[in-house]
Parts: sequence; C-alpha cells; structure tokens
Amino acid sequence: MRRTSPRSTTPSLKTMNHQESQRPEKVNPLEMRDLGFIESGNNDGLDDNHDQDELADSSQSRQAVDESDSSEDEVAPRNTIGDVPLEWYKDEKHIGYDIAGKKIKKKERQDKLDSFLASADDSKNWRKIYDEYNDEEVELTKEETKLIRRLLKGKAPHAEFDPYAPYVDWFKWDDAKHPLSNAPEPKRRFIPSKWESKKVVEYVRAIRKGLIKFDKPKEEPRLYLLWGDDSSSADRTKHLAYIPPPKPKLPGHEESYNPSLEYLPTQEEINTYQLMYEEDRPKFIPKRFTSFRSIPAYENAIKDSFERCLDLYLCPRVRKKRINIDPESLKPKLPSRKDLRPYPVTCYLEYRGHEGAVLSISVEPSGQWIASGSKDGTVRIWEVETGRCLRVWELGEAVQHVAWNPLLELPILAVSVGSDVLILNTGFGNEEQQRKAKELLQIGTPTSSDDSDDISSVLSWLQDEKHDCIRLRHFRTVSSIEWHRKGDYLSTVMPAGESRAILIHQLSKKLTQRLPFKHHGLPVSSVFHPTRSIFFVATKKNVRVYDLLRQKLIKKLETQLREVSSIAVHPAGDNVIVGSKEGKLCWFDMDLSSKPYKTLKCHPKDITNVAFHRSYPLFASCSDDCTAYVFHGMVYADLNQNPLIVPLEILRGHTSSDGRGVIDCKFHPRQPWLFTAGADSSIKLYCH
Amino acid sequence: MEIDGDTNEDNSRRIQVRFVTKLKAPYKVPTTAIAIPSDLSRLGLSSIVNKLLQAVVSEWKTEPFDFLINGELVRMSLEQFLLAKGISAEKILEIEYIRAVAPRKEEEPSPHDDWVSAVDGSSPRFILTGCCDGLGRVWKEAGLCTHILEGHSDAISSVSIINSEALGSVTVATASKDRTLRLWKFDAEDSNDHPAMIRAFKILRGHNASVHSVAAKTSGDMVCSGSWDCTINLWRTNDSDTDGDVVSIKKRKVNSKAEQSQSEGEAVSMLVGHTQCVSSVVWPQHETIYSASWDHSVRQWDVETGKDLSNIFCGKVLNCIDVGGEGSALIAAGGSDPILRIWDPRKPGTSAPVFQFSSHSSWISACKWHDRSSFHLLSSSYDGKVMLWDLRTAWPLSVLDTHKDKVLCADWWKGDSVVSGGVDAQLRICSDISIP
Repeated sequence: MRRTSPRSTTPSLKTMNHQESQRPEKVNPLEMRDLGFIESGNNDGLDDNHDQDELADSSQSRQAVDESDSSEDEVAPRNTIGDVPLEWYKDEKHIGYDIAGKKIKKKERQDKLDSFLASADDSKNWRKIYDEYNDEEVELTKEETKLIRRLLKGKAPHAEFDPYAPYVDWFKWDDAKHPLSNAPEPKRRFIPSKWESKKVVEYVRAIRKGLIKFDKPKEEPRLYLLWGDDSSSADRTKHLAYIPPPKPKLPGHEESYNPSLEYLPTQEEINTYQLMYEEDRPKFIPKRFTSFRSIPAYENAIKDSFERCLDLYLCPRVRKKRINIDPESLKPKLPSRKDLRPYPVTCYLEYRGHEGAVLSISVEPSGQWIASGSKDGTVRIWEVETGRCLRVWELGEAVQHVAWNPLLELPILAVSVGSDVLILNTGFGNEEQQRKAKELLQIGTPTSSDDSDDISSVLSWLQDEKHDCIRLRHFRTVSSIEWHRKGDYLSTVMPAGESRAILIHQLSKKLTQRLPFKHHGLPVSSVFHPTRSIFFVATKKNVRVYDLLRQKLIKKLETQLREVSSIAVHPAGDNVIVGSKEGKLCWFDMDLSSKPYKTLKCHPKDITNVAFHRSYPLFASCSDDCTAYVFHGMVYADLNQNPLIVPLEILRGHTSSDGRGVIDCKFHPRQPWLFTAGADSSIKLYCH
Repeated sequence: MEIDGDTNEDNSRRIQVRFVTKLKAPYKVPTTAIAIPSDLSRLGLSSIVNKLLQAVVSEWKTEPFDFLINGELVRMSLEQFLLAKGISAEKILEIEYIRAVAPRKEEEPSPHDDWVSAVDGSSPRFILTGCCDGLGRVWKEAGLCTHILEGHSDAISSVSIINSEALGSVTVATASKDRTLRLWKFDAEDSNDHPAMIRAFKILRGHNASVHSVAAKTSGDMVCSGSWDCTINLWRTNDSDTDGDVVSIKKRKVNSKAEQSQSEGEAVSMLVGHTQCVSSVVWPQHETIYSASWDHSVRQWDVETGKDLSNIFCGKVLNCIDVGGEGSALIAAGGSDPILRIWDPRKPGTSAPVFQFSSHSSWISACKWHDRSSFHLLSSSYDGKVMLWDLRTAWPLSVLDTHKDKVLCADWWKGDSVVSGGVDAQLRICSDISIP
C-alpha cells in the first residue's frame, strides 16, 4: 500500500503549492483529503468506510497545518471568508465573498452518480480535485502528481534536491598562520586591581564594624491573631505586666427570656431557696416570658453593674509566680548503693543462748569471737563463724557493758556489772599470752593507800577468786567502759558519779585516776581518740574533747540534741557521730566546726548505739525501733572535701521486748559485717 | 465433649522422642521412637520409662529417673525446655535417662556428745568425725563407733584420713581449735563392743591460733593445715624413722605403764600470703595446695617454692573449698553467703565463677566433689540442708533435710552415700545414691 495518512501528505502539498507559485489558487487541505479519497478509490475502489475515518482525521489536523503555513508570496484565494468552518455556508447560496466583496455563488453541484459516471468516462479524472473552499475543480499537473508521489515515499519533494550533498567548508584554515591581532597583552591584565582591593578593604571594615550583617533578619510572622489572648501578650512585653480584668460570666441558657423547661425551677425549689442563706441563694431565678414585649425591666441591673465594678476594683493585681520544680531534683545526688558495696545486708547467723535482753556486745579484735553481756547476769563468748557459745560467766547481776581488750595478744575482757567492773581472763590465746594475761590479772600488793585517798574512797581494786579476775569496785553504777588503744588504760563512766563520774584505770600499775577536768552535765559515755591522746566525753547535751597530755579542753561539740545516748569516733579520729534519744544522729567533722556537719533524723525511737567500722567506710546506728541503719560514711584525706554520707540499708529482724529493740551494734573488725544485740535476747550477724 | 477433647489435643502437642541410656541391661528400654505429650516434665518422663521397663521386665519396681537432653538435665516441662534451649521439636529427640541422684535410704543417726564439726568419708571402710567436745570418732557404719581419738583440749575443727590403703593401721590427722594438729594410728579392722580409746602418736605444734582445716597429701607423707593465724603449715606425717625406732621401743615400755608419751612435730614449711584466717585447704595434687580464706580469696600454692600461683578473688568470706570435677580442676567454694561458686582456673582471666548454685538460704559450711563423677558435688549449709548438685542443671538434684539445725560438715562416703554432721550432734548417713 502506498497510501499514508493524509496528515503527513497535507503539509507537503502546501510546500508544493508554495513552490509552484504560478498556480493561482491555494490548494486547500480538503482537496487533499479528496485526493486521498480519489487515490484510494483508484487503488482499491471499495474501501469507502475506511476513507471516511481518514477524512475525519485530516479535518482535525487541518488547523495545525494552516498555522504552520507561511505563504507571503502565495496568490490569494478567490474566496475571502478566511479560515472559518465551511458548514457556516452550508445552507447559503454563496460560498463566500471575493476580494471586491461580491458574493461568490455556489456552482451547481453535480449529482454524485453523474460525477461518478463522468469520472469513469474521463481518463484524467483521477487528477481532478474539488476545492470546496473556492468551489471549483482543480486539475493536478503531472509534476504535481510526481511531487506528491515523492512525498508519499518520504523523499524530498524535488527530484534535483540532494539531501546528502558534500559539505563545503567556506572558512580557509590553511593560510591562517598569525593571530587576528598581534598587539601585546596589556599590563593591566597582570596587575591586581586597585579598586577591587579598595572595595575588599571597605567591606572588611564594614564587617568588622558590624555595618554588614550576615545573619538573616528575623522573619516577622506574617499572620498573627489579631484578637489573641491578652494574657500571653502581656508576658511578651518587657514593661509592667498588664493584668486582664476578670471576665464576667457569660449568660447561659437559663438567662434566656424563654428558657427550656428543664431550667425553670419548680415552686418547691423556689421555696427551698427562701430557706437558704442569703449568700448561698442563687442570684438569678430563670423565668419564662412568652415574648420580648412581656419582659419587664431587670431590677438588678444597677446592683449587678455595681458588683462588676467591685470585682474589677478588688481583683488581685499581682501576678502569682509559681515555681515548677520537680521535687526529685531537690534531693542531693547520692551515689548508687550498688557502688558502695560491700555493706551488711542479710542476717545469716544468730547467736542464741541468753535468757534476757543482750545489753552489750564486743568483738574480739581479730574477729574470731564476740562477747556479750545480758540482763540475765551472764557474759558469754561466742564463736563468730559457727555461732557456738564457748564460755559463760554467771555474774548474778545485769551486765551493762562488755569490752574486749584491743590488743590481740591480751585476750581479756572488761565487764561492768552494777557498780563493779570485772576484768576477765577469757582463756583464749596461746600459753605465752595466757601466762601474761594471768600475770596482769594478779594484784600482787594491795593498792598503795598513799596514792590518793580521794580515789581510794570511791574505788578499790580487788581480786575476785571465783572468776579468777580483777574486780574494780566503784561507788556508783558503771554504765560504760572504754579501753585505750594500747590496752593498758580503761575509762569507766558512772553517770551518777558527779565530780568523779569518769575514772581512768591503768591495768599494769593497778592505778586509778579521775579525769582532771571540771564536769559539766551528766556524762553518758567516753571514748579515747583512736590515734592521739585525746579523750571524748559525751554528756547529755554536748561532747567535750580533752587533750590528756596538755590537760585542757580542746573543743566543745554542740549537738543541739535533747539527750545524747552514744558516741563513736571515726578510726581516723577527726569525725565523730553522736546518737540521741530522739532518734537523731549527728555527724561532726571536727575540722569543720563544732556544729554538726549533718544531722540524720532516721529512727523513730531512741538511738541506743552508734558504731564505726574500723576499715570499711561504714557506720551504723541501732535503735529501740528494732532496726539498725547502715550508712556509708566516707572521709576523704583531702581536707577540702566534705565527708560523704549515704544511707545504705535498714536491717530488721529483731523483735521488741519491754519497749526496747536493738540495744547494741558492733562491726566485725575485718569484714563488712554488723553484729546487733537485741532485747529479744538474740545476737544477729548481718553479712554483706 | 468433642470440642473439649480437641482443645486438649491442641494443648498437649506431641514430640517424637527416643529414650537412650548408658545403664546396663535391666534398665534398657527399646530404642524405638515414641510420641509423647510435650507438657511432660521429669516426673512424667520417669513414669513413661518405668512403664516401658515394665513392659520388658514384668516385675519391675518403679524407679525415679533423670533425663538429659543435649547434656542438660530436664528441670521443666519438655516444651519449655525445648523453647528455652532453642531445640527443634521437629526431629526425633534423643533423651538420655540416668538413675535419679537421690538418697533412697536414710540410716540411723550416730549420736555424738557435742556438735559434729568435721567428717571425712574418703575411706570406704570407716567414717572419721570430729566433734566439738575435742574427741574424734571412727564409725564403721551408722551407729557403730569403733575408736575414739582422745587428746585435743578444744573442739576439733577438721579431720583428714591420711592413708587408708594399708590393711592394718590407718593414719588420720585432726586439727583443733587448741592450735594443734594430732596424728593418730589405729587398726580399722578392730571391732570391739566398746569403742577403743586412741591417743595421738604425734602432736604438731606451731600454729599461733586455732587450726581450721587439715588436708593430707595424696601420697600420705605430708599434711597441710590452715589456721586463723593466716598461715598454711606443712607437716611430715612419718614418725621420724631413724631415731623413731628406738624411741618407739621406749614408748612401748612407757605404754605398758599406761602413761603415753607422744612425739612432737614441727612444721616443715609455712605458706604465707593470706591476710586473714585460712578457713579451708585441699591438697588434691602432688604439687599444689588450694586454700580458701576469710580475706575473700582462693589461692593456689606451689608446694616446692611456697609461692601462690593464682589468686581468685571472690568478694565474700570463704569457708570451704574443694577441687574436683572435670579434669579435677574445677574449684568449688562456699562461704558467708548462700551461693556455691565454681571456678575454672584453666580459663584465662577467671575471676568470675563458671557456675553459681544459690538454692541455700544461709552460709555454706562444706562442699565436696564426688570422686568419680565429674558432674556431682554436695554442699551443706547453716540452713540445715545438704544439697546434691549436678553441673548440668541449676537446680539441686536433691535436698537432704534431715538435720534439725546447722550442718557443719558433709562428705561423700563409699561413692554412694552422703555423711553429714551438724549442730544437732548427729552424724547422718543418707545412702544408696546412684551416681554413674
């Protein structure tokens, strides 16, 4: 098939027209469609329907074709109606107007059958095209048909045109040996521009002075709430804050002149209002009116506006500032308990055997045994590891205090029973140690009476045959005994002893002396400094620190407590803890001040005893509330750093008896273990 | 009803298993694969195996079994176990069964006068116990005391059988709180109506504080002892043969006068390094001593040089130590907390225990490896329980709750019994434990 779509043939026809300018009339695309029709009719003769479709196609494409037309030297067509649809003239007698404005009459159209017969007769009929626009028949010349054929084949319309002609290079390259201009390069091309540098310096200065700013100006929000909240705008302003007046209550449904029935109070309700107080009575009772006309004047109008004025006048004109602070953040940052291990946590061992409350315990300096004194009048020694009771002394009277000698090689025990202090030989240690201990516990010569009659009247050194020990007979009840670190001296405290309340005994010389200081208040306990010759006396109100060598008062620690019950000194000697009967525990840093560094209110009941660990940074307090508290108490060598106190654990397990709970607590000297003695006659060991 | 039945079917999915065993003939079941519900636990499995055995042997007596899957003991329902271990239930599961490790018989308690603080069952012929009244006792069987070792002035803290291979006389060592160790010789085959009183043939003095532990070298010519004075002393056990002969004749004469004299021994060498009480020593190999101490460390000592080779830090006070298990190299130790820890010193950089057993509720007083099985060990605790452990599971195999108070010592005896002594002054023997 040689036929291509008319769309492609139409423009080529135009070109043809343009070139064949001798032709007086323009060939309309519609003719072309006819040409196609004719051609196809010529070729297959029958395919009518198909060609109708093609027709439609071509008419669609016509517009585009005409636009692309550029035909200045083209002969104007006879018809001058321009590019309008021809249907407009379908029912007219004329097809348009000529250049003079006269109507061009339609030719008498031949009958289809006649024209077909005519075409069948005329051999040149296939070359004839009907130009609908100009209403005339055009006969194509031979050249024109050839041109069309060539175009249909996709070739150039003219046979003589060669699309692949050799390229002619019009510029002569061969002779150009020299540049177009032989002028030397100007000097300015090599010299930096003076003006440029001036401009740069200018800019640099401007930037330094801040005249040129690089950051973008802040973008003002283009839209803002014109009727936005006043209160928030007041926050933004820097000047005196505007405080908006309280807003009047807006009217609701019940204030309507014709409210719904549910807003209307019944007569009973109105009656109950009368029984109410004036202030509680509702201000407004909804009423119903059938129309606006029937609404009376509002009788409270003046009163209401007066009250509104009062509201405005009396409203508080101070903005309340609330501070939003998380209460958790106010707590001091303490290290985690996990990092402070080891410390006593769980009770694994119990030492049972006493029949009364255990009033005092003491751990042997190596930690192998503990001694305990009880209200049942016995002193017992226990093996720490197994809980086996190794020795029992029946003393017949409640044992107030027991204390091991701090020397490892001197296994003796000081026990206070009533007004006596017994120094017992425990029988431990090897033969050599035993021999020494026995030697020490012999009073060879009776105490020299010439020493000081003052003392001998209140105290006597006696040999106790029954228990094979020394008995120091005091004149008042002894409440506490404390050994000096060298194991030769011990101090005893008689709270009721007045001026001779605190005595210091020397075991090797069997001598007793009284503290050469004036006593103030009721003494409770006394402690020797762990390294220096300093002596602490705790009275009910405060703690006095004496230098024994220089025989003078160094310091007075103001506890600010109601009643001191116990005292313990840190192994380094600069820190003291004091427990009180109101459940407060005071930590004194003696380098810092004579006031407590920290006061811990932890126990709900009396603190009975406090203790420091010898090597671990631990301290503990025990109380009548049946608990013992364990704290981390780190003292730093750096004087600028304050001690760190962290509560670690509450040890429970003891039961209350006679209103008393845990009476004594002592740390194991080498392990982070705590022994507690309870009023329930048991001793417990809490291990890490 | 049908719906119910269906849901039941769904709930108990079935698993294909095959039971295998290393046990001998009467315990063998046919090795065909069977489908069992997946929610069975040890008890269910055990009853299935018993049923299978009953099918083979008509008069089968029911026997508890324990089950191993991939070398781990089953301690939950099969489904949970497979999920926890990530084992596929699609394939046929091989379950190995062993006889459950639990005492089947409890023998009469052997009463003492005071707390039983030490026991040694390393000889199958007798049990040696130490008591807090200072007497050592030799028990031929439960309730039958053959010898009493008399001489210590304070509680015995540890006993050790030095050599029991010799047919006639047996040598044992005892350590006491009276700072001495004593060596004793007696004839284990003696059996009188009344227990024979024995006196020590040698007293080893040298410790400054109470001796807490004694252990004999495997060859039997030396013992080591750990004491509260932080040292480990090594002693010779032979009664110095060169001049001993002459003395011994004299001794005999003296003996006839009913007044016994004893030779005294001095420590051969001293291993110093612990900073606190040495609570337990073991001497499992010729060259090495392991010691546990209250300074929270386990040390390994080279006997020749007296240097400590390794130091495992535990963090807790240690009361007992034993070496055994796989390759006789695992260190088990317990102390002032309820956790029994096992270290493997062969692993580089070991400070973390490889196993931790924490079913006790108080201090652990003794731990012993089984001498044949590398998986089994026992531990005794102050909570009054003796527990048998298998390394293949974290739960105790069985809990012996026969003591009324703290258990102070425990040991294996004859490979199938557990002997333990405690504060209730009884030596208890639980026997007929089948350990492969």
